[in-house]
Order: sequence, then C-alpha cells, then structure tokens
Amino acid sequence: MMKWIDQTKRKTTSARFNLGWMQKYHLGPALGFVIIFVALSITSRSFLTVHNLLNVALQTSVNALLAIGMTFVILTAGIDLSVGSILAFSSAITAGLLIGHVNIVLASVIGLVVGALAGLLNGLFVAYGRLAPFIVTLGTLTLFRGATEIYTGGVPIFNLPEAFSSFGAGALVGIPIPVLVTAVIFALGLLALQRTTHGRRIYAIGGNERAAFLAGIPVKRYLMAVYVICGALAALAGLVLTSRLGSAEPTAGFGYELDAITAVVLGGTSLFGGEGTLWGTIIGALILGVISNGLNLLNVNSFYQDAIKGVIILFAIMLDRKRAS
Amino acid sequence: MKSIKVTSALVALLALSLASCASPTSGNSTTSGSGSSKYTIGFAVSTLNNPFFVAMENGVKSEAAKEGVTVIVDNGNNDPATQLNQVQDLIQQKVNVIILNPTDSQSLSSAVKLANQAKIPVITLDRSVSSGTVATFIASNSVQAGKMAADELVKALGGQGEVIDLQGTVGTSAEADREKGFSDEIATAPGITVVARQTANFDRSTALNVTQNLLQAHPNVKGLFAQNDEMALGALKAIQQAGKSGVAIVGIDGEQEVVNDIQQGLIYADIAQQPTQEGVLGVQSAVKLAKGETVQATVDSPLQLVVKGTSFKGF
Amino acid sequence: MSTLKATGITKTFSGVTVLHDISLDVPGGKIVALVGENGAGKSTLMNIFAGALRPDSGSILIDGQPQQFHSVSDATNAGIAMIYQELNVFLNLSIAENFLIGNEGAYARSGGLIDRHALREAVMSTLEAVGLRRNPDDLVADLGVGERQLVEIGKALRRKSRFLILDEPTAALTEQETSRLFLILRSLRDQGVSIIYISHRLAEVFELADSVVVLRDGQEVASQSIAETSESELVTQMVGRQITNLYPRIASAPGKVALRLDRVSTAKTHDVSLTVRAGEIVGLGGMMGSGRTEIARAIAGLDPIIAGTLELDGEARHFRSPRAALAAGVAFLTEDRKYDGLVLPFSAQQNLALPTLDTRQRFSWISQHEERAFAQRMRDSLRIKLQSLDQPVERLSGGNQQKVALGKWLERNPKALVLDEPTRGVDVGAKQEIYNLMNDLKRQGKAILMISSDLPELLGMSDRVYIVRDFTIAGELDGHDMTQVEFMRFATGGK
Repeated sequence: MMKWIDQTKRKTTSARFNLGWMQKYHLGPALGFVIIFVALSITSRSFLTVHNLLNVALQTSVNALLAIGMTFVILTAGIDLSVGSILAFSSAITAGLLIGHVNIVLASVIGLVVGALAGLLNGLFVAYGRLAPFIVTLGTLTLFRGATEIYTGGVPIFNLPEAFSSFGAGALVGIPIPVLVTAVIFALGLLALQRTTHGRRIYAIGGNERAAFLAGIPVKRYLMAVYVICGALAALAGLVLTSRLGSAEPTAGFGYELDAITAVVLGGTSLFGGEGTLWGTIIGALILGVISNGLNLLNVNSFYQDAIKGVIILFAIMLDRKRAS
Repeated sequence: MKSIKVTSALVALLALSLASCASPTSGNSTTSGSGSSKYTIGFAVSTLNNPFFVAMENGVKSEAAKEGVTVIVDNGNNDPATQLNQVQDLIQQKVNVIILNPTDSQSLSSAVKLANQAKIPVITLDRSVSSGTVATFIASNSVQAGKMAADELVKALGGQGEVIDLQGTVGTSAEADREKGFSDEIATAPGITVVARQTANFDRSTALNVTQNLLQAHPNVKGLFAQNDEMALGALKAIQQAGKSGVAIVGIDGEQEVVNDIQQGLIYADIAQQPTQEGVLGVQSAVKLAKGETVQATVDSPLQLVVKGTSFKGF
Repeated sequence: MSTLKATGITKTFSGVTVLHDISLDVPGGKIVALVGENGAGKSTLMNIFAGALRPDSGSILIDGQPQQFHSVSDATNAGIAMIYQELNVFLNLSIAENFLIGNEGAYARSGGLIDRHALREAVMSTLEAVGLRRNPDDLVADLGVGERQLVEIGKALRRKSRFLILDEPTAALTEQETSRLFLILRSLRDQGVSIIYISHRLAEVFELADSVVVLRDGQEVASQSIAETSESELVTQMVGRQITNLYPRIASAPGKVALRLDRVSTAKTHDVSLTVRAGEIVGLGGMMGSGRTEIARAIAGLDPIIAGTLELDGEARHFRSPRAALAAGVAFLTEDRKYDGLVLPFSAQQNLALPTLDTRQRFSWISQHEERAFAQRMRDSLRIKLQSLDQPVERLSGGNQQKVALGKWLERNPKALVLDEPTRGVDVGAKQEIYNLMNDLKRQGKAILMISSDLPELLGMSDRVYIVRDFTIAGELDGHDMTQVEFMRFATGGK
C-alpha cells in the first residue's frame, strides 16, 4: 500500500515537472499531435509514407491558410465567421474571370483583392461601426454566400485553364505547391506576429484594448487590418481549392470557418485574445488533417467518424488546458 | 454622434453592395406566357445552391411558360423553418397548386397539412413528406439508381477488382437508398471487393481529399462509385493528380460536367436523374390538378444511363 | 463566544515557503487586524482559514477543537465566512435572489418551489441588521460597492457565521460608506462575532481593531494589542526598516508653466482652469465622483475638449486621441492598472516597451536585443522586483505592476505626467519607491499632476493642490493652507 502511494507521488511530481517545461514552449498541442501521429503510424501501414504525409500537408493547406488568418483576428479577441463565404465568393470571381479568358495572374490577384475587400467590410463594421465581430461576420457569412449564389447562379464554374490547375495540383522538388505557399505564408505570419511592432500591437490590442489605445496604438486601423488579412488569406485558400478542384463551387468553403476556429483553438490560442501563437495554429490544423486522413486510411465506418473526431479534439484541448492551468 | 454617423454610412454601404450584387436572376416571381394566365402555381424549392435544383427550377419555369401559368418560386435555402414560412405565404396568396421540393421530410409535413386544410393540392418533387396528403409524388428511384450504378461498375471492371464506395452525407435518405441499391447489387458480383466505404458528404472538395487518402491505403483500386456527381468529380481530380489511370468512376445525378467527362472518357458512366424532367412533370400534374383532373399518386421520373456516346445534355 | 485559533501554519508553493509557522489567535467578539506588505502571506493565510487552501502543517482550532477543512464549504459550515475584495455577488440578480443562492434549502417548499414570503422576511431582517436600507427586490447591479459588500456580510450572518474575514473591504468605498461599515462591524463584534480585518490603511486599523498581527515575508513579526503600538511602529514592522518620512516631498524650484488649462469644458467637466509648472507636483483632489478623473481624461486626449484651451509649453493644443497627446508629451497613468493600464498577459518587458515600440524599430522590426537592454535599464532604475522580465505582469505584486505601468511612459520623455491614484493598491514599501520616483521626475523638470484619494498623501507630496467639486475647480491651496481642514472645506462646499 505504502509503495503504491509512493509511486503515484513520484508520477505526479514528474508530470508536474513536464508541465512547466511544456508550457514554456507551448508544447501542449504538439504533444497531442505526436500522440495521434504515432498512433496512426502503428495502426495504419499506409500512414507513415512520404507520399501520404505530403498528401496530408496538401489537404491541410486550405484550412491552414484560413486558420492563419483566423489567428490574426482571434488574437485581437475577434472572430471571423465569414471566411468560408469569402473563400467561395472570391473563388467564383476568379473562376468567372478565367473562363472569360482573363490572364491567370490577373484573375488570381483580383480574387485576392476581392477577399481583402470583403475583409475590409468586416473590419469597417468591427472597428468603426463598433459592432461585435461575431454578429458582423455572422451577417457577412450569409451576405457573401448569397453574393456567390447570385454570381454563379448556383452552378459550379468549370473548364478552367489547365495552367491554373498546375498551381494547385503541381509540385516543386516533390513538394505540392499549395504546401509551399502555405509554408511561406506561415513563415511571414510568424515573423510578423512575433518579431514586428505590428504583431506586438495586435497582441496588445487583444490583451487589453484600452491599454493599447492609451499607449498610442491606432487600435481601429489594426482591427481593420486583421480582417483584411483574414479575408485575403481566405481568398488565397480559395485559389488553392479552386485550382486543386479545377472548378469553383458555389458551396465551396461551407462550414470551413468552424474548422479554422477549431485549428486555432486546438493550437492553444485564447478566444479572449492576446495569447496564442501561429505555431499552435499550424499544429492544430495538422491535427485535424491527420485525423481525417487516418479515419479514411483505417476505413472507419462513416457513422462513427464525427464522434471520433469530436473526442480527439476534446482530448487534445484537454491536454493543452491541463498544462495551462 | 460621430460613431452613429459612421455606422449609418456603413449600413448604407452594405445596402448598396447588396443592391449591386442583385442581378436579374434574383427575381422571385415569374409571370410567364401571354400574361393572361389562368392559374398560379407556388414552387417551394429546397435550395438553389445546387445545379440539380436549379435545373428543376428551369424545368418548372419553362413548362409553366409553355402552359401559360404563373409560378411563384420560393428558395428555402435548405432551412425547414424558412420553407415552412414560405409555404404558409403561398397558402395566404391562394395559389392553385403548390409544388413542394421539401428541405426535410419530417418538418415539412406540417406545411402540407396546412395546405390540405386550405384545400390547396400539394405535389412533392424529388423528396416527399412523412405525413399529410400529397396529390402526387414525382421522383426518381434512388435504390434503382444505386443498383444501376453497381451494374455499370461490374461491367466496367469485367467482374474483377477492388472498388471504393464514396458515400453521401450520412443520415440522408438519398445516401441510405443509393447505398442500399449499390451494396445489394455489388454483393452479387463475386469478383468485386469493396475495400472502402467512406463518406465525402456529397461534396466535391471533400471527395478530392477522401479519395486521395483512400488511394494511399488501396493503391490497386480499379473502380469507384460516387453516390453523387459532385463527389465523382472530386474523385476524378484525386485520381488524375495521383497519376493513376484505368480507374472506372460511376456517379449518380447527371450533371453536365460529368456528362462532358464521360464523352472524353474520363468518367465511365453516370446514372442521370432528370431534374428538369421532374420540374416539367410537376407543372403538368399541377395544371391537371388545377383543372380538377385526377393524377397518379406516384410518378417515377425517368433515370437515364449515360455512357460514352449517349446523347444527354446534363444540367 | 467562540474562539478561532491557528497554530504552526506552514505553507509551501513549489519550493517557496510563503507561510512559516504562523500562529494566530482570534478571541470571540474581537477585531483582529492583519497587516503586511503585498506578498507577505496575508491572502494565503486567509485562504487557509476559508478552506480554499490546505496548510502543509499546523492546524486550525475552533473552541479548542482541531478542524479539517477540505473545501470552502467545510469552513463555511464551521462558521467561517470570507468577504473577498472582489465581491462574489451576482450583479444580475436581486438582493433576495443573492441570499437564496447557496442557501436554497432554507427557503424551499415542496416541489422545488421557493417560499418567497419566508425569503423576503429573512432578507428584510438581515438587511436591517447590516444597516442596508434597500428593497430585497432591488437588483444588486444598482447597488453601490459598499452596499454590495453589506449584502455579502448579510449573507454570511444569515449562515450563522461566527468568524468574518474581510480582505481590504474599504479599498473601493467612499468615506461615508467606510464609516457605515465600521459601525456595523463594531456592532457585530459586540454581538460576539469575531472579525479578521485585512487592510493597508493603518489609520483604519487603529480606528477599528482590538489587536494587530504583522506578517512579513511569510513570518509573523509582531502580534500586539492596538494600544501598545503606533502607526510608525507598524510601518517599521511591515517593511523591516524604518521609514522616517512617510511623504518625502522635496523642495521645488518650479520653472515655467508646462501645462495650462484655461476654462476647459468637456461633455462632463466645465470651466476648468489650472496650471502645472515644470519641476512641480500639483495635487488634484476632491471627493470620489467629483470629476477629477474626467479632468485627467480631457488632458490625456480621451475626452474631447469642447470649449476653452489647453496649452503645453505655451502652445495651444487640441488632442483628438491619446496618441496625439502622447506625441505632444503628455503621459497618463490611469487609476485602474488592470482595467486600462497594463496588458495583463504581456510580460513586464513587453508592457514597458509598448508605448515606445516605434522608437526602437527598424522597418517595423523589433530588435529583441535592444528591447531587452531597454527593459533591463527600466527594471534597474525603477527597482522593479521580478523573477524575469519575461514574467507576465499579472503575476507581479501591485507595487511592481504600478512601476511597470508608470515606467512605460518615461521613455517617451513626456513634458507632463498625469498620475491618477499612483499608489492605489500598493504596499507601504513600494509607495515610498513611487514617491521617490515622482521626486526624481520632479527634479528632471517634469510637470506632474497627481490625483489621489489618500488625503495625507495628496497633501504630503504636492507642492500645490487643486480641489475639484461638481466637475470644476473649487479652489487651490498651497503653503501653510494645505491642511485637511481647508481641503475638506473646499471639497464639501462648506464655508
């Protein structure tokens, strides 16, 4: 009996030792990822292959781009529910231009601008209209989806030029182009948030908007900027998706905002703003990607998939929050 | 004060952008024919966010124009509550017949009962309702479609090989019926193994990812059944991008994009529904009912097998 | 009457001993004051009494019986009630509903219904006992802070608590509310309730308590009857060294006028005229709600000035935002550092660097190296005590938080500083350091406008004092006129 107590005691102290260490380097989400990764490597023969891992990275790129943008917004204690609709709308515009024989680069840039403008609309309402981000983007979620339906007439736009597909389906030195694009955006975002005055101000606004305002930070301009970034990245995610599919769907991106928010939260970013990292977000997105991939590889019955996903997400969040408390 | 000004400016901007987005296609009510239409038909469609239902709407509109009747089109946006309100509005407007393409078979039963009370006949398209009196139900047979797809896949593979089954959104009747038709039939082919049954939610981009994943686990797949065309198109992309050839794809629905791909030999076959035809049949029945003629309780909308060389336009 | 006793209480948090062998004796019907600097261990000790923490060793005895508290409810059942500084009332509920919560059983009828009549009766009689003249159906949100506190005390009495622990109960109270609270606490004491009273305000301790216990760094340094000690002795015991001059005002050699307000009106204030010269500390006093903070907000560019002029170094200015005021050389230390002073999840370094991010950037790039060097310089010159500059400020003591909140403005080299309650919630030792810092700034020729509710501090540190009443300046005192009597005459509008 005595011995048993001793052992449990030792266990808890060593676990506690890990806690501080983990917390310091924000490793909670990473630990969850590693556990899932190892579990899948053991249970599925097809999982741990270079080809499949690149495949997971490719499939994660769309959600990762959305989640990176979402991180900027959530760091300011905001939320953007409209990203899925912005994705669909900007994709439809680009695809419409492409079948109208507009130059691929120009059509893509216009798509990105449309996304940024959609984000600007959100930002104006949030920063200058002083409306709650949840409500504003709940409105624009429907608005942009409606605009997409009107523009496409509810029909997918297809027969896009082959060259456009090579962006989403192509690879450079064996790595899919969307993965490279996401990696570049991630690196830029990471540097911007961690190393620049702009990033620091975004964190400050989320941590205490009033204190930030008093410190001379142009709070409204930054609030607007994060929604523009989020909108532009949603459009970029749309370009990736459209070029992978070779068509723009009016239903594209439906419900994607929840996946993006899940990735951000899984990554340990606080919904109250001011705390979190892009590292966490990318890990969160990878966790979601690996789960979907693994469930397919293991041929898990479709009826059970959502429930299993939910349990894994809750488990991963618990792992992180245990550490944080 | 200032913030109020800014807010109202933003509201104006929003209103403007809404208005500028609105194109002529967003009109709600269409008066067709010569203008001296005798009858008004209400058409409550589940969604116009999907080409299938857009085609159905086109069938309704064109047949209405031919018959010279007025149609009021209500888009339920896949929301049962919205659609229930819309049906109530149609009853208020005292339309002669309601053509209902329900968003949900349970919730819309009450809408049908309200119409029954108001003595307005109801025709259901593509899906029906669980209770209430429906004058006629026009749809293609989903179990039959699944069975036909299985037959085509067996034919394409010469009775030998591994196949993937991409399922629709679990919990929908289309998924359940198509799955049943396909599974029962494919089981009768001893040389065929279904190596994976996974859902892709009737969605193209999901199907792309799911198929990519499944190709990792099952590299020797020779055939793929997609419960709808959107998934078939996503699966096609995955197969192309994996650099594979010789995987036969069979879908259901009859989308134009798939029909084109069949003519190019990219997709093996499609079991086409004919939503335009459903719409046409719906209006024809509605006119009969309005005139007081009798109609059949159920009408099977024709299914058409589309393979390379079949002349079929798709929708 | 019941007695509460703690013997040999020791508590360690991750290797750090925060309480070492503490013994405390609370006789029935007495008020025992517990004083000590922030971090001395007062809160930990109280949480042990309240059952929220368990001691590593030592025990708590009630009437000589050892107690085992495994939870707050154990302590509550034993008759101990803790009134925290941040009150645990439900603002969205009525007074009666607040009484009901946690005590549903007492007013339950069959079928889960509430006996509203019995509840109302009970609440009425309790409100009378604590001297709160309010309708039980009033919403707690509509009550003042002092009244909310009385609701909590009433709830504790309702639960037949014999021991009441109050943590800084007067921190947010007006003078009137404070005296009413004291009246009630004395009457409770006379009815046999024992009270442990934690406070930074030594004057209150002498007014109220029967005996006083001093903690320093987790050690019990003194336990004495109130008659045997003095204010200066307590201060010495608390900080562990002698503080000769509580308010170390230095002689001023004021230069020209740095900040001038001439008949300034905002949406709230009207016709405010005042001047602050370089190298001068000017006090801005008045009752709570008199408009002091509103004047500060106008100077800092937070509230637009609609009439009159504001001059900085003789130049008329019109600030449309704090950003503009800051750029012109006005820094504003707000009264509530947690609400709008500090970014709590940020480290001390990040908070210190926030207003001056621009000055160290190259193409928006933060040089970690330079920022660290800057923060170290600030830490040393302000004597901020912390384990690491990367420590989140929310884990620092009040005094160190305040130093960070003040220090972040200094690198902007402001001409004028508006300090709203610079020593609120700060312990005696840190107060001295903040005073010294203010004196340093004065020597450097800064113009300082200090708002304070602590009258001895206001009169002790300022060269001149303006008194605010009804959102305008009611009078000005300097030299020998700067007495509490004169001050109160202006502040209350008396003759």
